Amino acid sequence: MPLLILRRLGSAVLTIVLASLLVFLAIQALPGDVVQQILGRDATPEAVAQMRSELGLDTPVFLRYIQWLFGALQGDFGTSLVSGEPVGPNLLLHFRNTLLIAIPTVIISVTLSIVLGVIAGLRRGKLADHSISLISLLAMSIPEFMVAALLVLAFAVGIPLFPAVVLDGPQASLAQLLPSIWLPVIVLSLAMAAYIIRMTRTSTIDVMTSEFITTAELKGLRRARVVMRHALPTALLPTLNVVAINIAWMLGGVVVVENIFNYPGMGNLMLEAVFNRDLPVIEAVAVVSAAIYVACNLLADLAAMALDPRQRLRQRTRRGTGVGAGTTASPAISTDERSQP
Amino acid sequence: MPISSSMDRRTILSAGMILGAGALVGGLSGCGVSNGVAEIPLAAARGAAAPGRRMRIARPAASAAETLDPASSLSAYEYLGAIYNRLVKLDEQGTTIPDLASEWSSTPDGKTWTFKLRRGVLFHDGRALTASDVIYTLGHILDPKTGSPQAGVLAPILEPSGVTASDSHTVVFTLTSPNAEFPSLLTAYQCYIIPAGSAAAIGRTGIGTGPFKLSSYTPAGRGSVEAFAGHFAGPPALDGIDFYSVQDTSARVNALLAGQIDLISQTNLDFATARVVASSPVATVARAKDAQWYTIPMLATSKEFSDPRVRQAMKLAYNPEDIVATALQGNGSPGWDNPVPPGYADALDHTRPYDPEKAKALLKKAGVEGLQMPIYTSSYDSVFTPLAVAYAEAVKQAGIQLTVTSASSDSYYTEIWMKKPLSVSYWFTGRPVDQLLNQVFRSGSSYNESAWSNKAFDRLLVDARREMNDERRRGIYQDAQRLIIEDGADMTPMFGDRLVGLSRKVVNYSEFGFEFDYLKIGLS
Repeated sequence: MPLLILRRLGSAVLTIVLASLLVFLAIQALPGDVVQQILGRDATPEAVAQMRSELGLDTPVFLRYIQWLFGALQGDFGTSLVSGEPVGPNLLLHFRNTLLIAIPTVIISVTLSIVLGVIAGLRRGKLADHSISLISLLAMSIPEFMVAALLVLAFAVGIPLFPAVVLDGPQASLAQLLPSIWLPVIVLSLAMAAYIIRMTRTSTIDVMTSEFITTAELKGLRRARVVMRHALPTALLPTLNVVAINIAWMLGGVVVVENIFNYPGMGNLMLEAVFNRDLPVIEAVAVVSAAIYVACNLLADLAAMALDPRQRLRQRTRRGTGVGAGTTASPAISTDERSQP
Repeated sequence: MPISSSMDRRTILSAGMILGAGALVGGLSGCGVSNGVAEIPLAAARGAAAPGRRMRIARPAASAAETLDPASSLSAYEYLGAIYNRLVKLDEQGTTIPDLASEWSSTPDGKTWTFKLRRGVLFHDGRALTASDVIYTLGHILDPKTGSPQAGVLAPILEPSGVTASDSHTVVFTLTSPNAEFPSLLTAYQCYIIPAGSAAAIGRTGIGTGPFKLSSYTPAGRGSVEAFAGHFAGPPALDGIDFYSVQDTSARVNALLAGQIDLISQTNLDFATARVVASSPVATVARAKDAQWYTIPMLATSKEFSDPRVRQAMKLAYNPEDIVATALQGNGSPGWDNPVPPGYADALDHTRPYDPEKAKALLKKAGVEGLQMPIYTSSYDSVFTPLAVAYAEAVKQAGIQLTVTSASSDSYYTEIWMKKPLSVSYWFTGRPVDQLLNQVFRSGSSYNESAWSNKAFDRLLVDARREMNDERRRGIYQDAQRLIIEDGADMTPMFGDRLVGLSRKVVNYSEFGFEFDYLKIGLS
């Protein structure tokens, strides 16, 4: 067991480093460098040459990436090429703001979807099931920006309950940001809950038809007790993985949503950095995102092991576990099935 | 920066995103809309401003590298007119008028210019403006380390040592070559006057002589200015202005529709959005007449357009009036390939026949009958693609087959502009004629977007600068415009009105060139 965790941690670090390399190569493939992007139409040859030497961009870019990577491994994310500010504290500020959206989203969508998913599973084929399935299918199909636009239209422009956009910068206090988080939270929760509902419904149906539940029912246990004590723990196992994948996926959804609401979070920081080809900032965001992704998968696997003794045995017999290896007995939704909108 | 940075920077995400809530309002409610289409108002509301009001402006910040140093190419444009003044400014006829300088004159050879400064002008920190501040400012603009776009315009005729003071309120410019239009070159928005010795700090302190005084500022973030009681032209109508950075175009519109802000700067609304905003109960649209100068640069160094006959055919093959009607839905003026805006005193009054047959014959002579090529566009400005489509459609008559090709807006000006043979582009109007012709059309200028090089044209520009008689100089500038129309490689199909979203409470909004009228703008 400890060996397994070590192995997983090792591959996690490798994954993050590889992610940073891929991001670096992708940025190199984009046209224009930071100086050309910032100067735009004023990027005259003289202006470009002068700014490049000012920013110290004369060293080869690959060398700068290696330097950045070694700094990052020691916890120093360098300074932004655009603002000249250190990346670390700024990233932390944006990360805090994104968490302010992400945490309520996870709490709301997980609670809501487990309740609705179980109800749909238990009332399979009935009206409740059909309506829950239909709504979740709708929520899945409408892209976030559309949902966001409709919500802004209804609850910011039509009935001015919430602000349409956030006007405060990243330094805003939690109290200042609080009124602005609800529309983004609703948009993200809808998309996220839809997937978990479908997963929970499927696994609830699977479990309820299994033999040990039939046995429990034949023993004369009350239905509520059967569901709560016998069915749910087993049914929720595969859901864990879906929740983990969804949290990781949410990092992507956050980019779209933060842009629409001008929300000063990590997604907006990344967009700005990509637009300006601000390598240290892009890399820092990429590394943090990859770390979250890996951590989510790792936690999901560990939680599944803790809940299900069979998994530990399976892990031992399997050779070379990769990151995010499927660990569920029932068909889980894999990452590549979640196409990003 | 010769243009605004008003980009749909975030069209990277998805074209659908630009369908903001705004466009949906139009589709869903249509409140106050006659037969589904709201008319776009012709002018901003005039009226009395209520005292004690603050205005909220949403702006697309260029980047976190932005600065309040007016000389820099990274200046935060909306703040400049609020906190600084220039020696001279431009009126809507393109004429140079007083700002900090009350009068100016030159020696008969046009080489020595003397500017008298207004007396009693105060900087926000209480210091009085003197000639030494002007000398210092010009030295800062000309300093290569500043990297000012205006240095390229001024350096050929002025050295820092050529700016001297004959007394505390008289500045003398001794030019290296005669220049009858020298004062107009000081109207550029890089030429705002800063206090002596402030170069290192000005990017953050923003101390100027303008109607507003800076109270807070974060690059690419929030900032505020407060009315400056000591301003020489009396206090402004507003008590203060708060600037907010909102990068996404539809987010800016949503903020306006939700009543969170009063004005969107540097954003030319597309027509669908403009109609929605105009029909909103809280917001409306104002026009900055002919504020957008649209161009179709044909790269003169490319094999297609190095032949002047092909360039001539490209002009004869379309009718600018049709392009205004389709691409701008009538919200602008035809350009007739003359880059000088129609309202300017020096503008050449010219139209030409639309003649696709002649265009065809010219192409045949040049051996490129049935010319086929891409015309590049992007979502950088909302009119780019309508313009490219309308132009491509128009020239079919002459047998020219253009494929409208859309490129990414975030690299349009680094990868496409000045690199592809045929593309669309735009500038803000509001440059003095001499600077406009020199910056965009003179051989070898770094902003010459069509790489056109014409010796006779360059000579006319030099002659104009030597000609001290206003009437004769105007004649030379008009000859130069004729040359651009006949031989030039940068077509000007039209000038577009900028459609500016603002609150219905805003009164006396007016914007010309690169500056708002910050004194009169107010809220009712």
